[in-house]
Amino acid sequence: MWAFLSAPGSDVTVRVAAWTTAWVSAVTIVLFAYSLALRAATVQEAKRRRAIIERWRGIFAAAMLSGSYARECALPRFSRAERSDLLEEWNLARDSVEGEAVGHLIVIGERLGVDAVARRMLRARRLSARLAAIQTLGHLRSRAEWAALISLLDDPNTALSVTAARALVEIDAHDSVPLVMPKVVTRDDWPATTVSRILDKAGPDLVTQPLCSAILISEAATSVRLLKFAELARTERIDQLVEILLRERREPRVLAAAMKALSSSAGLPHVERLAAHEVWYVRMQAAKLLGRFGQERDLALLEGLLRDAEWWVRYRAAQAIVALPFLGPNRLRQIRDRQTDRYAGDMMQQAIAEAGLA
Amino acid sequence: MTIESFLFDAQWVFLIYFIGLNAGYLAQNVLAIAGIRRYLQTAEQLEAENVFSSLDLPVSIIVPAHNEAVSINSSVRALLQLQYPQYELVVVNDGSTDGTLEKLIDGFAMRPFPEAYRAQIPCKHVRGVYRSARHPNLRVIDKESGGSKADASNAGINAARFPLVCVVDADSVLMQDSLRRMVRPFLEDPSTIAAGGTVRIANGCTVRQGFIEKVGLPRNFLALLQVVEYLRAFLFGRLGWTSLNALLIISGAFGLFRKDVITEVGGFAADAIGEDMELIVRLHRHMKMQRRKYRIKFIPDPVSWTDAPETLRGLKSQRVRWQHGLGQALFKNRALMFYPRGGAVSWLAIPFYLVFELFGPIVEAAGYVVMIAAAVLGLMSPSTATLFLALSIVLGMLLSTSAIMLEELSFHMYPRLRDILLLYLVAILENFGYRQLNAIWRMQGLYRWLFGRSHKWEAIARTASLREQA
Repeated sequence: MWAFLSAPGSDVTVRVAAWTTAWVSAVTIVLFAYSLALRAATVQEAKRRRAIIERWRGIFAAAMLSGSYARECALPRFSRAERSDLLEEWNLARDSVEGEAVGHLIVIGERLGVDAVARRMLRARRLSARLAAIQTLGHLRSRAEWAALISLLDDPNTALSVTAARALVEIDAHDSVPLVMPKVVTRDDWPATTVSRILDKAGPDLVTQPLCSAILISEAATSVRLLKFAELARTERIDQLVEILLRERREPRVLAAAMKALSSSAGLPHVERLAAHEVWYVRMQAAKLLGRFGQERDLALLEGLLRDAEWWVRYRAAQAIVALPFLGPNRLRQIRDRQTDRYAGDMMQQAIAEAGLA
Repeated sequence: MTIESFLFDAQWVFLIYFIGLNAGYLAQNVLAIAGIRRYLQTAEQLEAENVFSSLDLPVSIIVPAHNEAVSINSSVRALLQLQYPQYELVVVNDGSTDGTLEKLIDGFAMRPFPEAYRAQIPCKHVRGVYRSARHPNLRVIDKESGGSKADASNAGINAARFPLVCVVDADSVLMQDSLRRMVRPFLEDPSTIAAGGTVRIANGCTVRQGFIEKVGLPRNFLALLQVVEYLRAFLFGRLGWTSLNALLIISGAFGLFRKDVITEVGGFAADAIGEDMELIVRLHRHMKMQRRKYRIKFIPDPVSWTDAPETLRGLKSQRVRWQHGLGQALFKNRALMFYPRGGAVSWLAIPFYLVFELFGPIVEAAGYVVMIAAAVLGLMSPSTATLFLALSIVLGMLLSTSAIMLEELSFHMYPRLRDILLLYLVAILENFGYRQLNAIWRMQGLYRWLFGRSHKWEAIARTASLREQA
């Protein structure tokens, strides 16, 4: 190949091919070497991690059990390179406990200076280091970086912003909920599971009012998303809200989501009305609710839904009928047998079999 | 035109083609490296948060089975042990003649169930539905054979109760947390309509009670070659396309879909050879033409392990079928090509697949022929021919090396250094014979597509290791 590269008379195409071959070969060798180096680094890293775990896990476990140990035990020194792992281990320990042990871990954390370490790491370039730092500040309930955490709520990175929200609520739920709730409304990139944990941590007293207001005034998609968190608010307030939504809103998605959030028979008159809604999934939700809260007079309504053109409405109506507490197996079979519509009869038969009453 | 001038012109065609192909692969590579870094940075954090909750989406797992009596019960047992809060299992017995249904009935205490079955997506006649007396979330749909996995999958989708459906090959080996990982894109982005994950080669791995216990490399050389191929295809091919929302295939071995959308487009095409790819291309077409916002996502996590063919015959049959399926999927959805509002799918992915994946083998083979002819006729010196061959080989090696590096950067599933070195060796060896053989098989697939020969359910011989330990 060297002959092609150096020969002055070579055709241009051949020279380009020769140079490309040389370059690609070099890049391939570099990548190969890099992969081997990565492997070696991974092995080393695993060894180092194991050593750190061995050293710190025992200390944190003992501290969880005893406050005096947390205050007085001799603490090994740790290097700059170990900071990130130390924080991770401390966070892991902190995540695993509740109650008195939390205070012990905070004491040992303060003695180790994890607060200062976390504050430094908050400005690191590595995302994982920043995430560990935010988590630590939250766990320590340290207000030292309160302003920085608030500004992180608007960070475009989902993990950073949602972790900051979680830390803020952990540090001071009372002060942070008014700041976090508007972001819960606007940040549809935040994973619902994490938001649910944040709201759960804040507690229904703080969450109920802003959540209900947001659901009430938001456009359909946001209302539907927020209604998923309704179980974390006060049920009586949510039931009132659902009643308003069922009365005033027209969007089928909102109506269906609102019915899902209902936990009492408060809105039953609206549900009975919605059983005749033009959109099938609204009728389906109505059927489900009638099964939970329905009375004898709703049986006719449910039998009507049993003949619905949509399979899911028929299915939920049949399940609802089977779930009605005042109907025994004999009456269920009578209902099945009196269906003149074949699809309705088949569906009742399926629901009865599913309930083990066949 | 003289032979000389023809060969001279052909040289430029091949050169442009060669540059286009490799530029495309390298671009995918760069996108994949960026994508995997981004993914891994947040995965750990979100993974820790993403514990099961009432907000998880329930999933219906569909398992089409045709003459799977040997392994069906162990597959179902493994699927029943998946770590996921709410899911149901719908096994579709597609007219098996080897006692698959009887095995299921005996193994799981299946009882006839009066299901009000609804055929939203057309499929062959359903003879009956069974429900397990021991596992309430397990049902079997017994139907007449439709002759294809697509028809069986459609029958299962019709019976699915949950908003997400997951179609799984009966012989796939999953990870216990596969479902949880695959659901993540749907939780994070509600516009997600389909998601796929990395499929790895199970040959050489130790499988216990339906799950991978120890990852290893196969002893069979053909299977070993496919390990590198799969790394390349999944770790940078699909990851690269997904960052442009232009992923054209989700493996039929394990894919997760929104049920309402899959039903809306009419399910899997029963006449499609590569029903998995055809469905994804059709989903793109449907959503683009309706101007709806959507995402089709790929997660790099290894979620499914599959049994690779270990014989030339088996491998040939698979590759011919894949190429046939590719041609069919692109042709059926040709309206998507250069569709004005089609974005990267219409303007990049489909043309790339058409030019480089579908017709690539012809150009590759013609390249070899022209080069040999030029050398024989004295129009190209043997050393120049060797140089071009070397270039083609080192580019292939670069792509494989980069895929192995991505594996090291991300999941490092192969624990021993020896395994990695062996994979590099394979990345070199595959250029001598295997690539050329593949080009020939793919040309046969192309021929079958052009001159219309149909395929039916095809059984791939299972490897001893999987069969014994399953």
